[in-house]
Amino acid sequence: MLAINDFLNYFSVNSEQILDYTFEHIQLVGLAIIISILIGVPLGIYLTTNEELAGTVLQITSIIMTIPSIALFGIMIPILSIVGQGIGFLPALIALVLYSQLPIIRNTYTGIKDVDPNIRDAAKGIGMTTFQRLWKVEIPNAMPLIMAGVRTATVLNIGIGAIAAYIGAGGLGSLINQGISRSNNTMVLVGAVVVSILAIIADLLLKYIQKKFTPKGI
Amino acid sequence: MIQFNDVSKVYNGSVKAVDNVSFNVEDGEFVILVGPSGCGKTTLLRMVNQLEEITEGEIILNNQSVKELNKIEMRRKIGYVIQSNGLFPNMTIEKNVMIVPDLLGWDRKKRQDRFNHLMELIGLHPDEFRKRYPHELSGGQQQRIGVARALAADPPVMLMDEPFGALDPIIRNRLQEEFLQIQKEVKKTILFVSHDIDEAVKMGDKIALLRDGEIMQYNRPEEILNHPKNEFVSKFVGQDRVLKSTSLYSVKDLDNEVGLSPYDKSAHIKAVQEDTSLRIILSMLLNQEADQLVIEDGNGNRKGSLTLEHVEKFLQAKVGENADGVALQHE
Repeated sequence: MLAINDFLNYFSVNSEQILDYTFEHIQLVGLAIIISILIGVPLGIYLTTNEELAGTVLQITSIIMTIPSIALFGIMIPILSIVGQGIGFLPALIALVLYSQLPIIRNTYTGIKDVDPNIRDAAKGIGMTTFQRLWKVEIPNAMPLIMAGVRTATVLNIGIGAIAAYIGAGGLGSLINQGISRSNNTMVLVGAVVVSILAIIADLLLKYIQKKFTPKGI
Repeated sequence: MIQFNDVSKVYNGSVKAVDNVSFNVEDGEFVILVGPSGCGKTTLLRMVNQLEEITEGEIILNNQSVKELNKIEMRRKIGYVIQSNGLFPNMTIEKNVMIVPDLLGWDRKKRQDRFNHLMELIGLHPDEFRKRYPHELSGGQQQRIGVARALAADPPVMLMDEPFGALDPIIRNRLQEEFLQIQKEVKKTILFVSHDIDEAVKMGDKIALLRDGEIMQYNRPEEILNHPKNEFVSKFVGQDRVLKSTSLYSVKDLDNEVGLSPYDKSAHIKAVQEDTSLRIILSMLLNQEADQLVIEDGNGNRKGSLTLEHVEKFLQAKVGENADGVALQHE
């Protein structure tokens, strides 16, 4: 009971601070996802036309996934220090974009590849250009898978984004970070819970968007 | 309309899918490409709208080699129907049917009128189906929509790749009948792939029978059935080919060839229309439904009677000396 009281107490006293961190977190993850979609979806679509490159790119993105986030942040400090951005928002953003590539590229690639070959054949046979085929047939039919990739990437990024606090990117990770160094379990707990809630809300929101974007017939 | 001049298709430099094929399809003709799996019939079809490249030879469409035509534009002028209907699941029925007019930039009013007309042609209610999606329709309905889509921009030529192949026999039969009716109205030049000789006999003005990429025989169905050119054709059309050929003739044809007998008023009789197919007549006679069948014309005038002997005489005349193993013997 004591823990819950502490928890609620901390919450009410620091609500403004928590809200600020949450906002920072959303900003970081949101921007990262938008950039990731802009890179990953076109790349995934392009890869369906280039089998050899597809294998290589998917391999690379898989390897990126296996790098522990803390190590990736570490690697970027010396590299980005060259432009004076070794710590803070930029390295965190780049790391999140890199981590998002696997789910987004792979799902887009698979989604487009998995469109029923008969449908593709029909689209070709009735005289659609490559672009029309993509826009009117392939992307709409791959939409559920593409959106599933975006959802996975978003939830993943909300979690990894918490670690970005270690390189000074702010966000809800700051609560956890500070809580650990001050041995303040309540702070750590609040940070963790808010990150989780954020992940759940984001996922539900994207699920709704996914439904909106997916054509009714599918 | 479509001319195949020494057309060949070679895969990977060695496998010959189509081997030096030459034949002509006239304006408004309904030609069936038939043969066992792997005989190259689908490849041949797909070379017309350049879904497959032509390795050698030429396909002339409306006096122009297809190789010289713009692929996108020429495909929009050719109706294309495939076995698994290929409807776009993300589009409503109206969008699916109107996709080619849409690509061609028709205005809304024209598209709507065309949609209503096509749906009536294929026997589906336009308003009931307009906003529905392909997965909500039965297989037969989906295939009808596939046909409507191919007809949408009123192309002079249709390519159909086993359009009714995936349907159950009853629905297939019905769609075949319906399509023949539609063809009577629209008179397209049609190239139609089938593996089913019965379908070919029933639907085609002409049949091109293929094996291993080569044309074995190209002729009218009755010629293929009654005078198979070689062993393979004879086997492919089946031992019962003469029986099959009876479905191609009506009582009228028989009357013109061998004439009817005056009918005997006292005997047990049964009246049939003169446009009834001989296959049905034969079945009625073998079934002992009546001693003699009395033939009536469209106005109910009795023209004469007919027995098994007439059918036999008629078939002898049609099949000639080539007939072997005719399954017709009366006691």
